[in-house]
Amino acid sequence: MRPLLQALALALATLLAPAQVVEESLQADPGPLDFIQGDSYEQWILQSLAGDALVGIRPDGALTPRLATAWTRQPDGTLSFTLRRDARFADGSAVSAEDVLWTFRELQRNPRASATKRAILAGAEFGERQGRPWLRSPKPLGRLLLELARVPIAQRGQPGQGSGPFAFRQEPGAWVFTRREHFLRPGIDGLRFHLLPDPSAVQTALRKGWLTLGAPLASPGAEPPPSHRRLVHPLHAQFVVWSHLGPGPLRLLERWRRDAFPARLLGRNARPSRGLWPETLGFPVRSILADRTPSPPTQLVLHHLAGDVALERLLLALRERARRDGFDLRLRPLEQGLLFERLQKGDFQLAGSVVFFEPQPWAVLEYLEPTGPMNFTGWRHAQLEAVTARLHQPDVAAWEELQALWSREPAALPLLDFQSVIWVDRRLQVEPSPMGLYLHTPGAAGWRWR
Amino acid sequence: MIRLLQGLGLWGLGLALALTLPGSAWKAAAPPAFPWAALGPAALATASLALLAPLLVWLGGPTLASRRSLALLEAPPELLWAALLLALWPPAWGPPGQTAWLVAFLATALPGEVRWLAQALPGEHPLPRAWGERATRRVRWLVLRRLGVRWLAARLPVWLTATLVLERMLGVPGLGTDWLTRVAGRDRRGLAVWVLLLAGLWLLTRPWQRETA
Repeated sequence: MRPLLQALALALATLLAPAQVVEESLQADPGPLDFIQGDSYEQWILQSLAGDALVGIRPDGALTPRLATAWTRQPDGTLSFTLRRDARFADGSAVSAEDVLWTFRELQRNPRASATKRAILAGAEFGERQGRPWLRSPKPLGRLLLELARVPIAQRGQPGQGSGPFAFRQEPGAWVFTRREHFLRPGIDGLRFHLLPDPSAVQTALRKGWLTLGAPLASPGAEPPPSHRRLVHPLHAQFVVWSHLGPGPLRLLERWRRDAFPARLLGRNARPSRGLWPETLGFPVRSILADRTPSPPTQLVLHHLAGDVALERLLLALRERARRDGFDLRLRPLEQGLLFERLQKGDFQLAGSVVFFEPQPWAVLEYLEPTGPMNFTGWRHAQLEAVTARLHQPDVAAWEELQALWSREPAALPLLDFQSVIWVDRRLQVEPSPMGLYLHTPGAAGWRWR
Repeated sequence: MIRLLQGLGLWGLGLALALTLPGSAWKAAAPPAFPWAALGPAALATASLALLAPLLVWLGGPTLASRRSLALLEAPPELLWAALLLALWPPAWGPPGQTAWLVAFLATALPGEVRWLAQALPGEHPLPRAWGERATRRVRWLVLRRLGVRWLAARLPVWLTATLVLERMLGVPGLGTDWLTRVAGRDRRGLAVWVLLLAGLWLLTRPWQRETA
């Protein structure tokens, strides 16, 4: 009798216990949840919670099934996907090949669709065969599959409806996600995001226990409160400087970045970059090989994003380092929209910005390809097409050749590699990865309360 | 008529600036939905200010303009008020919400607006002070009634959008945040609608601004 009573009491307590919702903050308003048009970091987080892509990327970077349980390559080069039978949208309807095709078609057709997703599906053809969606793309298979992990599938005709592990609703000043029946079996009841653009306000909210997790200020002395623990992990993020004066200034920056930044200023968030491309994506450290470059002018102008205090301090340290070598590095902070316009127009000597790379090595092609979104200097090379055609997998030798091409005349150089430093409630188990906490599979669905 | 044309010219310039705002967004995104839920608190905040500031000036008179304590209250920026409120807010109460935002807004805006109105009052020595307290209050009332609409027309656009710092610090997105998000995302149409609405509010106050001889 007693075990039965205990079980009943436990069941009653579970029913009456308040839902343990993760309280989080967003730095910027993500806009309405939209799987077709949404294209910002905050929007990616929303989409990863409310949607499912055909494939997912595990925290270690490997591919894993998500909406598709399997995929096969046909002799004609098409990729055929087998969809899950237990994947459902909020209204209970099953995710079908028609939903997949509608999402792909809208991304290609809608001129206001996410530029990132449109680039993923550039030149692709797709269709349906025996209830299975298929896709044919000029891109190598490995790249295509990793990129498809960034394309969650929307319900046909409803760009704001996904099949993800959490149901979304917007409240005044809050973005709320509630657990639903899902094949990833989410372990937390839900998440509530508050718009807190001010980093010091985030830190205060963390200290007062109003946020379950969040990024504190980038000051080295900041210690988490007893209720939270610190979590540090690398990110695919760098502060990159583009040069319109050729590789000359980049060679100088390559030298200065070694000893310009005091450890106290770097804190835990950043460390000087070592190579040309992100080491987190598996690229070995290489130096610039351009030996016979004309010496750059002694007065250099560096445009960068205004408002990031920690970064501005590091750039001041860089300016002092340049002065020791007789160079006058003039810093010009700009509002984000104005900086991006300058980058697009190529109206700069040196321009720096923080870049978040996609979680696969092909992301660096954005620097090199003629239409690449980060090729701000019009970089080109006669052998580029031949080399990129051989980049079928992340570990082939052609990557070495590609990096060698770039190292002879680079147009951009990373100065800082960033790490994610967050404070997390000790009771919450999360799995960090270079993609952050949300963008991998299972993402937030894999979190558990202790 | 000339004043109307001057005003319309200024609002036209604002509209042109909104439509031709330079720069472009790195990741173009759909513009945010208008925060309709923020309209109520914004109306309450402006109504409180529109009532409290004239009331305090009516009670205090023109000497408030040179009162040192008022200047001391006026000096701290919004950032400081918000940080102070955050620091003093008990953790057990949960994050401060709209009420705290309203208190911080009044603490920030009220001293400045009181001084603004008090400075506009005419001197009271020797008259109407010599006629007694009742006459003095009556004169203040007449002046404030005349001044009120112009004051509102001049300050309303500022109140509606300048609470941005408080909104960012307290995590209460409102009209200021909406304005800034549209600037950051280069939503030129949304900004133009904002300018047109503010211009409409200014036009609505025109009939009450006429001076009668």
